[in-house]
Amino acid sequence: MSGVDVSGVDVSNPPSIEAIRCEALAFTYPDGTAALRGIDLAIPVGGRVAIVGQNGSGKSTLVRQLNGLLRPTSGTVSILGRPVGRRHVAELARDVGLAFQNPDRQIFAGRVSTEVAFGPRNVGLDGAALDEAVTRALGLVGLADAGRTNPYDLGFSKRKLLALASVLAMGTPIVVLDEPTTGQDAGGIARIESIVEALAAEGRTVVTISHDMRFVAESFDRVVVMREGRIVADGTPAEVFAEAGWPALRSTNLEPPVAARVGASLGLGATPTEGALVEALRSASA
Amino acid sequence: MTEEAAGLHLRGVSYRYAGTDRRVLQDVDLDVPAGRVLGVVGRNDAGKSTLCLVAAALAPGVIGGRLEGQVSIDGVDSRSFLPHEAAQRVGILFQNPETQLSGTAATVFEEVAFGPRNLGLPLADLVERVEEALDQLGIVDLAPRDPQRLSGGQAQLVALASVLALRPGILVLDEPTSQLDPAGTRLVGDALARLAASGRAAVLVAEHKTDLLERLADDVVVMDAGRVVISAPARDALADGRLLELGVTPPARVSISRAAAAAGVETRLAGAAWT
Amino acid sequence: MAAVAFAVRQWTGPVSMLVVVAVIAVSAGIARRTVPFALATIPLVASILLVNTFLFPGAHDVLLRLGPFSATGTGLAAALQATLRVVAFALSVAVFSLTTSTDDLLSDLERRGVGRRAIYVIGSAIGMIPRMIERAGEIADSQRARGLDTEGSAWRRVRGVVPLAGPMISGALSEVEERTLALEARAFGAAARRTVIRSHPDAQGERALRWAVFVGTVALIGLALSGLLVLP
Repeated sequence: MSGVDVSGVDVSNPPSIEAIRCEALAFTYPDGTAALRGIDLAIPVGGRVAIVGQNGSGKSTLVRQLNGLLRPTSGTVSILGRPVGRRHVAELARDVGLAFQNPDRQIFAGRVSTEVAFGPRNVGLDGAALDEAVTRALGLVGLADAGRTNPYDLGFSKRKLLALASVLAMGTPIVVLDEPTTGQDAGGIARIESIVEALAAEGRTVVTISHDMRFVAESFDRVVVMREGRIVADGTPAEVFAEAGWPALRSTNLEPPVAARVGASLGLGATPTEGALVEALRSASA
Repeated sequence: MTEEAAGLHLRGVSYRYAGTDRRVLQDVDLDVPAGRVLGVVGRNDAGKSTLCLVAAALAPGVIGGRLEGQVSIDGVDSRSFLPHEAAQRVGILFQNPETQLSGTAATVFEEVAFGPRNLGLPLADLVERVEEALDQLGIVDLAPRDPQRLSGGQAQLVALASVLALRPGILVLDEPTSQLDPAGTRLVGDALARLAASGRAAVLVAEHKTDLLERLADDVVVMDAGRVVISAPARDALADGRLLELGVTPPARVSISRAAAAAGVETRLAGAAWT
Repeated sequence: MAAVAFAVRQWTGPVSMLVVVAVIAVSAGIARRTVPFALATIPLVASILLVNTFLFPGAHDVLLRLGPFSATGTGLAAALQATLRVVAFALSVAVFSLTTSTDDLLSDLERRGVGRRAIYVIGSAIGMIPRMIERAGEIADSQRARGLDTEGSAWRRVRGVVPLAGPMISGALSEVEERTLALEARAFGAAARRTVIRSHPDAQGERALRWAVFVGTVALIGLALSGLLVLP
């Protein structure tokens, strides 16, 4: 069930196309702040990557390079094999959907369905295809019967899901989520986790910025740790959250998930998720 | 005022927002005695924020609406207070640091002085209160800083200090860390733990982060659709099996123990392993 | 000062005021920062110079001819006087805004009786400006990330008004309730006079000088307008 749109890809490249590739990417803001100091990152199509790090480590800056909101000061960014170059943000938005953290900096329509239709309409969908995209997206976020509701009659956490739906409806092969779980209750977090799975099952590439290490360990297969504009760790959750990886995490003010800490203190090896910890406990007591 | 009357007590409290008919709170009974911390958990529309507004006498006092039952603040019905009188008995901290800062103060000191200034307190009194509030939260060194240039966690502490400067005996916190990153959560969590340990105020804290509540709360109530469905000492309430279906993520300790037990592994882990 | 520069005719008014303002600027150490204000007057000054020099009615002391236009000495003199007035005005505004801290000004106004609500509205509006700019940027980013075209043709950009302005407005409105609650929770509604915490030293000498300047200005303007004061 692959829905990846590869029509824009340079066919002279070998078949293993990367969704995202950054080479020696550096970026300095006009006021002189060096936010990215040489990032080398390659994310395969279908990857599920979490970018973590304290505020100011460069996560948001990096993610804005992926859809052209910011352009590299030096180095390159390629999306689906094509360099970003001078392509307009509106064009890159067909490949990279970026869902921001604060839904209230985005919602402007009087009805949920109109809001969700905005993105897909901008990238060229209309008529039946548009309606279908909107319906699917609302279903995915659990707002299927809220189509005619005014967004501000929904609580903050549902508005966040609405903002997410409006990006999902665009059907982009790459989806970037900025802090999707802040402000969500248990149900909301479960919903986000199932959305990540559904996207991955469709073959879409999912990138997230998050400071919820439990969410990261449970839903993603790769963790990229950033500090002061550089990548200081890059690997699977088991690798990054293993005891050897803690100094890198702590250097950017992060703590590994509880499961990892418990596993380490019991000498059980790498146990980034609760499932892994329980497994390790079972084999240890067997 | 008797010992029992001190603190915050709700009896049969129901509340409807102005212009609506739905009871967002239904028949709530709740006690937060002086010196105790009560955690409030529940899914997002369970009524936690409304409970906080009612407890702080902002509802119906400032936003109107219809209140049934009794909200007693140190033995006095909350409806008999004007908002500025209530502010000196119950302090409230909201989630968003940005909207709580006045935006008119050049320094943190001026920001924290906002409340006492409004009361027209003599300068010496005012300075004493500001210094005390900053000291209680360990942010004396932030005094000369620009409030608009602080991290989220720091801004929340400044907002909290400006509330503490009014010397309320009761403190209501509506998801104080939900907009903060882990560093900010740690900063605010530590400050709250110290505050709670000093034992004087009655504290009501609504939170999603049950790990934080494990540390801070003496008792916990779980809300669902405006009602209190579980009310117990923190340790018991947070280990209750119904939490997930009520929209609450149990503390990591609890869910790991439970999963391990289900896998047939006995867990008798010392407390230190969980930190 | 600006008033005097305009009211007192001929050269004395503008020149003397310019000198006064320049002296104040230099002694306050802000001379360099007044330059942008002076530069801002260039478009106006250029047109004043051109119009007056070449088209001054009834002047015959021609200095030079450019086709059908003649530059006259009288015209030039008038032009320069007008220029000095404009520059003096701009610099007085500069000196005022560069030496006055908004916070101190508002605090002083409140001390003299302006209500706390008015002070809050003005103070927070000013403080809100950088935040609003930042917010507008975030909104633009969100909408562009959803395909809103802000780099294309003008027509396409016009369609962006609602998605760009809408969240600004609804965001500001939805904040109103939260801010009101936060203010009330800090006893903003209390009836007392707010404690003054900024010092406003008002030396006797400064007070006397302020009054003298005020009286002197009124007198000068009165005399100049009534034609009793004759100066070059």
